[in-house]
Amino acid sequence: MASLPKRIIKETERLISDPVPGITAQPHEDNLRYFSVTIEGPKDSAYENGVFELELFLPDDYPMEAPKVRFLTKIYHPNIDRLGRICLDVLKNNWSPALQIRTVLLSIQALLASPNPNDPLANDVAEDWIKNEKGAIAKAKEWTKLYASKK
Amino acid sequence: MKKDPIDATGTNGSRSFNRDIAEIPLANSDHTIPKNNNALRNNSNQSNLSTLSGKSSNNPFRIKLELQQPTPFTPDNLAEEQEEPDSDFEIDEDELFSDDDDIFINNLDQSFNDLNISTSLNDNKIINEGGVPNLKYDCLTTNELYDRMLLRVEKIKPILDISKDDIILLMQRYNWNEEKLLESWADQREHIIEDVGLSSNNDGTNKFKNNNPFRDNSLQSRENYLCPICYEEKDCTTFKLECNHEFCTDCYQRYIKNKLSDGNIITCMSCSLALKNNDIDIIMGNNDSSNILMNSSIKSFIQKNNKAFKWCPYTDCQCIIHFKDTLYLSEFKRLHCSPFVTCKNSHKFCFSCGFESHSPADCDITNAWVKKTRNESDYLNWVLSNTKECPKCNVNIEKNGGCNHMKCSSCKYEFCWICDGPWAPHGTSYYECTQYKNEKDKDKDSNSSNDDKKLKKFTFYYRIFNEHEMSAKLDWKLGQTVSQNVYQLQEKLGLSWIEGQFLTDSLKVLNEGRTALKWSFAVAYYSDQSHNLTKIFMDNQALLSHAVESLSEMLTEKNPKILMEKKNEFFNKTGYVENRKHALLECGRDLLCKGICKPK
Ligand SMILES: [Zn+2]
Ligand SMILES: [Zn+2]
Ligand SMILES: [Zn+2]
Ligand SMILES: [Zn+2]
Ligand SMILES: [Zn+2]
Ligand SMILES: [Zn+2]
Repeated sequence: MASLPKRIIKETERLISDPVPGITAQPHEDNLRYFSVTIEGPKDSAYENGVFELELFLPDDYPMEAPKVRFLTKIYHPNIDRLGRICLDVLKNNWSPALQIRTVLLSIQALLASPNPNDPLANDVAEDWIKNEKGAIAKAKEWTKLYASKK
Repeated sequence: MKKDPIDATGTNGSRSFNRDIAEIPLANSDHTIPKNNNALRNNSNQSNLSTLSGKSSNNPFRIKLELQQPTPFTPDNLAEEQEEPDSDFEIDEDELFSDDDDIFINNLDQSFNDLNISTSLNDNKIINEGGVPNLKYDCLTTNELYDRMLLRVEKIKPILDISKDDIILLMQRYNWNEEKLLESWADQREHIIEDVGLSSNNDGTNKFKNNNPFRDNSLQSRENYLCPICYEEKDCTTFKLECNHEFCTDCYQRYIKNKLSDGNIITCMSCSLALKNNDIDIIMGNNDSSNILMNSSIKSFIQKNNKAFKWCPYTDCQCIIHFKDTLYLSEFKRLHCSPFVTCKNSHKFCFSCGFESHSPADCDITNAWVKKTRNESDYLNWVLSNTKECPKCNVNIEKNGGCNHMKCSSCKYEFCWICDGPWAPHGTSYYECTQYKNEKDKDKDSNSSNDDKKLKKFTFYYRIFNEHEMSAKLDWKLGQTVSQNVYQLQEKLGLSWIEGQFLTDSLKVLNEGRTALKWSFAVAYYSDQSHNLTKIFMDNQALLSHAVESLSEMLTEKNPKILMEKKNEFFNKTGYVENRKHALLECGRDLLCKGICKPK
């Protein structure tokens, strides 16, 4: 494997030495571009008390290309589909090399705090969300309990 | 040099005919095939290619020559391109395309008309491809399109009173629609300036209002510079816009390279301030980069306006057809004919569906046919393979050579490879076979299921369709040889280029006749077999087939000298093919208009 770019080394160091509250990101020893991530559900959201596991991968062209992030824990959210893929602008068109792993994870945390059913990835979930927000939130809470409980 | 070949040909003609024909090269180099070959080509034709290429010599049906390689039907790109364009997007076409274009188009129309008349020898044939309004279109390359865009930029420059690079950014943002741009400009100038990235939020619009006289966006040499993107601390050159976000050029170059193909505005890596073409070229150290970006931008413009603009579907052809009046398209559909256009490289295709010239079939029949062949591709693959069971004793027989007259090695049964019927009634007339008779079939297959029969019927038509496609391909190769021979002869005898043009003409007509014949089998397949008009249509198929055959036979002549001597005969036969083709096309359109032929 080619030597790790300074940029990635610096980011990794800072993620570990100065972690974001509620977020952990640990690179794999055998592949330093691959991170195991956990995000705690934000307070007062449907995901409160849940701990969500994600995987994050830095492609060869990082930071020119956005990191690839995916939820591993099942989650009921209008912007996250069954495969855990996330609909988030900074992961797509609005990615800029000036952004970092840290900012991406913070954005995901923010997405948990305020779902956006008008820009859905999981259409059925988003429909639920718009039609019956209370019911959808209840379901999201249920799923959080079911799949994302702290062990 | 002989300047006037009209006397020699003994036909009508005009000066423009000579001129225009002469511009079509004999050995046409456009032997490319459409970019997106369909599944059929990929799947099923693989095997039949080898089958059919083996049978060139002794098949009396085979046409020997063609002008250019016939195009297999079906570029797939139509499906991708047919998404609705932005509904609110309208171009002022007159603005966009000046009067010169009309002149160009008129010339083009003229040359095509001349071509038709010259080859048909038939003055009363005024309609081209079925009596619809004349097509108004324009053939451009991306570069030409971009040049026109630049002209538009120049036009609105005095109105906006900003630099050309700035306008290009605005135009990119507004999909090259200056009307929309000017409208927004009048209403919400400040907003646009920010939105496009001509000024950043923090700085306000002040800098912009000064027309950026202090924009200090050149490269700088720095020592021990810590770039906030790569985190490398090094001696390097850097670049920054007026936002003062400074990065090393290595990072900037990587960043820009990644974005050139999108055709979107490229911004500072840290904020929304836009890099202008000039900035991009400074960073990249060349002029190509902004050209690539503009090219991509034009491409996305075309994609977004795919109702009026279409790429030529042929491989490596950079032509763009700009359709002037898209309202006509529905008229074409209603009349069951199709808007065939020809690019500057003489590639002819249907503007509506993107397939090759497919008359007498209309776009619906064409699509139904293509879809069906795709669905049955596995089966067809098998059918078109080299082996077949003897219809009598079921022994496997391998087809070798081109002849369709099969003789079972086991039971000595003689049958037709195309229709499985006994050979005897075929006699020497290969064409008898296209007279697919349901009645005959009923007697023969009274036991087999309906589905089976239907598939058989389809297979039969597909076989012949395919036959024509494949032979046309072989013919193209032969055509090249003949062209070369004639060319050499011309050199040797000092004949003018014009002298050999009748061959070009014949090859072209032959090609078109072949293509029409090919697609006529799609029409025949979807036609009510019991209807009298269908029978007439089939008679017309037979007549065209014979005409084509007879012309092709003449082109098998290897001696170029003899070829040249037969000029008048060529002219007559070519005209005859042209007439027969038009009769068939008209008859096919009749079938469609009367609902006797419809996709099922
Ligand atoms: Zn850098
Ligand atoms: Zn900036
Ligand atoms: Zn072309
Ligand atoms: Zn068509
Ligand atoms: Zn047999
Ligand atoms: Zn037959």
